[in-house]
Amino acid sequence: MTPAIEVRNLRFSYHDQKTALDGVSFSVAEGECVALVGPNGAGKSTLLQHLNGLLPEKFGPDPAVAIFGRPVSVESLEETHRKVGFLFQDSDDQLFCPTVYEDVAFGPQQFGGDGREISRIVRESLAKVGLEGFADRIPHHLSAGEKQRVCLAGILACEPSILVLDEPTSDLDPRSKRGLVALLKSLPVTKVIASHDLELVVQLCPRTILLDGGRVVADGATMRLLADEELMLRHGLEKPHSLQHLHPHGGG
Amino acid sequence: MALHDLIDHYRRVDSPIHRLRTGPKFTAALVVVAVAVAVPLPAGWPWLGLLAAALVIAAGFSQLPPSFLVRRLLLLEPFVLGAAVLALFRPHGLSVFVSLLARSTLCLLAMILLSATTPFASLLRTIRDIGVPKILVSVLALMYRYLFVMIDEADRMRRARSSRTFKAGRARSWGASSGIIGQLFVRSAGRAERVYGAMCARGWR
Repeated sequence: MTPAIEVRNLRFSYHDQKTALDGVSFSVAEGECVALVGPNGAGKSTLLQHLNGLLPEKFGPDPAVAIFGRPVSVESLEETHRKVGFLFQDSDDQLFCPTVYEDVAFGPQQFGGDGREISRIVRESLAKVGLEGFADRIPHHLSAGEKQRVCLAGILACEPSILVLDEPTSDLDPRSKRGLVALLKSLPVTKVIASHDLELVVQLCPRTILLDGGRVVADGATMRLLADEELMLRHGLEKPHSLQHLHPHGGG
Repeated sequence: MALHDLIDHYRRVDSPIHRLRTGPKFTAALVVVAVAVAVPLPAGWPWLGLLAAALVIAAGFSQLPPSFLVRRLLLLEPFVLGAAVLALFRPHGLSVFVSLLARSTLCLLAMILLSATTPFASLLRTIRDIGVPKILVSVLALMYRYLFVMIDEADRMRRARSSRTFKAGRARSWGASSGIIGQLFVRSAGRAERVYGAMCARGWR
């Protein structure tokens, strides 16, 4: 079966010559939920931006990323944007329209669609994230949790098959976080989640990829990886509390 | 938050003027501006008087506090006065000055009433519907959206500065403010890039 995401030997450096990604390879099967963890500056955000074609700005002749078997290139960019929904770390970056309705409608409008169809999609997407009745609200009057849910509704409105989330819980209080976990669990799409919030990873992702210095350091079952205290500490992380009593090699 | 309120506060009041549909209200405001600008003077003074009376009545119905309207007017008037004062140096300058002042005050009042009683998003929809180019409407929409984000950002920076400022002094605080303004430019440029990324991610071309 074609994997949902296939990354082969991805290398990338920013203009300042610093190597951000140094030969990253992995693949994600359809329906999988994978966590991407690693210290600050490991290359997590850079990697995520490659998954829906926001990076690189200029594509080389041999694209390193393929989505459902189709290489991400200039020609396939629109399809990629459509298939891969991207939740940004700062909701204010993503909520760029004057009202909630217009923001959720933005994607469907870009991809073409008639007015009645779009208003149905907006209504359904807002209902999915539990924000019925928010259509006329103004983004700057919303709480951080509500803003993020509007962002998610805006992504869901594009009906993506893959969700890419960059630090989805960094701004949320515990209640909003529980809501987000429940919401993400209910979405039957492929998910890649970059996070420092390892409890979230334990709750949501059976598989974890550990990134450091632009390389994949480890890739495997979340319970085994995150319970390995030495590995976690070596890469600027720590064993989550919920796994404190779990031995990395079984037993526990 | 204070600045937020200055910009947006009275849009949420409920009054007959607030409830008017945006299209007709927008047209009425445009008509007021057109008449105020085009009517010949001195023959047209009664017309201007009529407009002034209509606007004052509308302002009364709008339930906007008069002090708010006057403050807004005073805030914007200097721009007009700057141009009008030049007329004083011409022959018969005084009458030109007075007529410029009267016309522009009426225009300003009409626009203040319109903008203070209409949700900005709805104004944007109206100007898009009457055929203002999409790119211009998008720029206005983004400006409105990020104005508040920037105000918050500036507020946070100012607070962070003042929490580490031990000696207050005018010169020093001007220096700090210029630093904040510079920082805002840099941060906004960064944000612009991220917002553009977010727009592309949802299919913007």
